[in-house]
Amino acid sequence: MDKRILFLIAVVLFSGIAVISGYPQEEMEFLDNSVFDKPVRTPSVFRHEEHNETAAIEECNECHHIYENGKKMDDESSEDQRCSDCHDKKDSGNKLALRKAFHKNCKGCHIQQNKGPVMCGECHRR
Amino acid sequence: MNSLYNFVSGPLAWMAFIIFFGGCLFRIISILALVHKKEKFIYTYMSWKYSFRSIMHWIIPFATVNWRKHPVLTLVTFAFHICLIITPIFLLSHIILWDESWNVSWWSLPDSLVQVMTLIVIGSCVFFLIRRLIAPEVQYVTSASDYIILAIVAAPFITGFMAYYQWFGYQFFTILHIFSGEVMLVAIPFTRLSHMLFSPFTRAYMGSEFGGVRHARDW
Repeated sequence: MDKRILFLIAVVLFSGIAVISGYPQEEMEFLDNSVFDKPVRTPSVFRHEEHNETAAIEECNECHHIYENGKKMDDESSEDQRCSDCHDKKDSGNKLALRKAFHKNCKGCHIQQNKGPVMCGECHRR
Repeated sequence: MNSLYNFVSGPLAWMAFIIFFGGCLFRIISILALVHKKEKFIYTYMSWKYSFRSIMHWIIPFATVNWRKHPVLTLVTFAFHICLIITPIFLLSHIILWDESWNVSWWSLPDSLVQVMTLIVIGSCVFFLIRRLIAPEVQYVTSASDYIILAIVAAPFITGFMAYYQWFGYQFFTILHIFSGEVMLVAIPFTRLSHMLFSPFTRAYMGSEFGGVRHARDW
């Protein structure tokens, strides 16, 4: 086969992969709950971009926080990590258990702001 | 909806629990004070032994003649009371809310079992309703308030069931679920539901009288 055609196919394939892998956040509909052994509820509904637009959130560390000695660090953020990298399945010291951390991070803010889902089934839809 | 949820799950929940515990304490203390003032003579035959003999006897299904005479009622009433008390305490969703508010948690029952127990409570309420409508000996002591009380007890379980399955009106049923639970808590000390507090006392009294005065069996 012509080398140029092979090269063209390769370019199309690779750029396709590049485009698809550039959009994971846009496509996200549910939180990934695979870290839980036997999840009892459905994974929480969450659309990252839509959420941040309606909630007018600019800073990543609004949610992707870093705590040191019980204090939230203003200029540090953790969006390169998974929640479960820090939060264990059980409470440890000041650090909340993973499930509680999810609930407090989302629902806690929603209650404070008086906006967004707060009842179990509003996120864990059947 | 958020404001309504915050209200029923915040200040209203506080009020319900304060009235429930305060009301229970008040009712028990005032009834004991009344006994002390008017019926002091019962102290001459109140006995720990006969009290507990009677409580233990009547707390076991089919142990007494009366339980055996009404087998269906016995079965339903035991299933109903066990499920009524166990279900809300050991439901995972409730435990999570306690944990988030107070950092306390305990083991939970599987949701599938809780669903069955909820249906037992609802079914029992239907049984009690029909019994109240058709059994003459029950009709004779029934007033309108008895139907209201039955509805108060059934409501948290019906709304909880509806909220769990999210068929329709999820937010409505969830808020109504919390609210109806609070209504029930408040109603316990001040209605016939106060048998939750007084049944051990009445049983102890009857047991003591049968044992210590009549020298009879605890039937």
